[in-house]
Amino acid sequence: MKHVIIGNGIAGISAAETIRSMTPDADIVMIGDETAPPYCRPMISMVLEGSITGERLPIRDADFYERAGISPVLSHRVSAIDVEGKSVRIGGERPIPFDRLLLATGADPRPIRAENRHLGNIFFMRTQEHVRGMLQALPQVRRALILGGGLVGFKAAYGLLRRGVEVTMLIRSGYPLSQQVDSHAGRMILKELVSRGLEVRVETDVAAFDGNGAVRRAHLSDGTEIPCDMVVVGKGVLPALSFVPRDKIAVDLGILVDEQLRTTAPDIYAAGDVAESMDIARNSRWVNAIWPEAVAQGRIAGMNMAGRTVAYKGSLSRNVIRIFGLDVMTAGIVNPPEDDRYKIVSAIDRRRRSYRKLVFHEDRLVGMTLVNDIEQGGVLVALIQGCIAVRIPGEKMLAPGFNCRRLFI
Amino acid sequence: MKKVIVHPERCVGCMQCMPACATAHSRSRNLFAAILESPVPKPRIHVGAGLYQEGFPNRCRHCDPAPCLLACLPGAIFRDEELDTVLIDPDKCINCASCAMACPFGVIRYHEDCHAPPGKVVAVKCDNCFERQEQGLIPACVEVCKVNALTFEEPGEALKRKTDEVARSVSLGVSQAELPAGFARFALLIGHKRKELHVGRP
Repeated sequence: MKHVIIGNGIAGISAAETIRSMTPDADIVMIGDETAPPYCRPMISMVLEGSITGERLPIRDADFYERAGISPVLSHRVSAIDVEGKSVRIGGERPIPFDRLLLATGADPRPIRAENRHLGNIFFMRTQEHVRGMLQALPQVRRALILGGGLVGFKAAYGLLRRGVEVTMLIRSGYPLSQQVDSHAGRMILKELVSRGLEVRVETDVAAFDGNGAVRRAHLSDGTEIPCDMVVVGKGVLPALSFVPRDKIAVDLGILVDEQLRTTAPDIYAAGDVAESMDIARNSRWVNAIWPEAVAQGRIAGMNMAGRTVAYKGSLSRNVIRIFGLDVMTAGIVNPPEDDRYKIVSAIDRRRRSYRKLVFHEDRLVGMTLVNDIEQGGVLVALIQGCIAVRIPGEKMLAPGFNCRRLFI
Repeated sequence: MKKVIVHPERCVGCMQCMPACATAHSRSRNLFAAILESPVPKPRIHVGAGLYQEGFPNRCRHCDPAPCLLACLPGAIFRDEELDTVLIDPDKCINCASCAMACPFGVIRYHEDCHAPPGKVVAVKCDNCFERQEQGLIPACVEVCKVNALTFEEPGEALKRKTDEVARSVSLGVSQAELPAGFARFALLIGHKRKELHVGRP
């Protein structure tokens, strides 16, 4: 049995390790476009802020491939898949045949349309290399501009502020993290950031940059301009699937997978940021490009590839971040549509500066936002993931001292 | 291999396990000295109230596979196969709270600890008192529990005893008087189970 895995991020790694643990003699080939051993992508922002060094990033040893019996093909991007002939092609080289193929190519940063976007010192923040480039540019940087108020923009802003750079953040919506939190939590976060010296401009975007080689100024959609010598683009990510033959493998935003992580083509699986699976809370297809889902999907895809039929219960959007004095954890649907079937309970504790909100759909918990009281968050996530009917009033789940025993006999 | 087994129906909520745990994880291992330590040692078992205001000792279940281990970004959480225990390496921990988001029991806390680098906030949870076990002692929370809500025994034997008790109590014709001694809240559980199984009703 020959397994080929495209992508050496955490989804690919989890799948490879699972396959190896179940079938000691299978052939495993891993194709990755980054040369480094597998590393922890969410931690690159910590390198930017200076709290860890680059050597803390790898999550597997340098001899990982050798010890797991994996043949690595690194610093290559797959150019085409032959679905019928069961092989993948890298540029002009000989095709690599497979019995089972996993597409775990992850996602690439969403590009922007602004004029002169190819000037120097305009960065994405997705890979180790990106952060290395940012750190090289840092000594000459006094004012940075962050595009996007999502998690990446946020972490970039946080890191640069800690490095003593003046930071301006441009947000298209009315408050930061609008995809992850509701307006109340968004305003709390905004207040915290502004008090730490971040300048935030909401409901605006960049039309063009100018500069001589390196960026010097940004022209905004509202006609104003901002001087800046570094720009970080954090406008979300798009699944990396340019090489996927769309006539043979069904693609929406990501590659469609069923509950065994199978694509619509036989013996081809997908997992991680590139896959579009059923979202438990939304009850529709969704790409949840987050680390814990990549681990879960990689493991389950690996089990199915190794011949054990295991069902995946669906993905759930969730995130946790600590920013200055705030801890924020969110999961599922945080801003439900106007509908009587959704019920919201929330609690604000001025003294502990905490805010917690739960979203119920009939008797099921489908979403939550926790600010500054996150230790029981995993209990709520488990409730959402398990689609468990909640038999106690929602307010009781916000009472102080809530623990998992309050839910069941 | 012996494990700590929680019997929530016996817990009276006295919370003695908490200072015992904190003391066992202090620098001095002595209650009176531990109070004066910096950082002040904190318990890794948390007694809260349950559905009927009964006590409930909540501690790490050392799951396998462990959701916290799978979610840990820097790979600080690992399983010690010999101890069958999930442990956190405080040097590697980055205090990102990914494990708090993954733990379905809410038993991970974040604070400074004498086992971590000074001044560093890290994820902390039950470690099955492996240091005490290596000295031939049983886990501190079990040692101090006066009502046998926490026991240290072979899981197989404990499970069998528990199933037998529940089966006997749920089956028809057993009066409450025959319930094992010290099971004040057992009746609640039995009542609930009977309702679920529609036992004892025409």
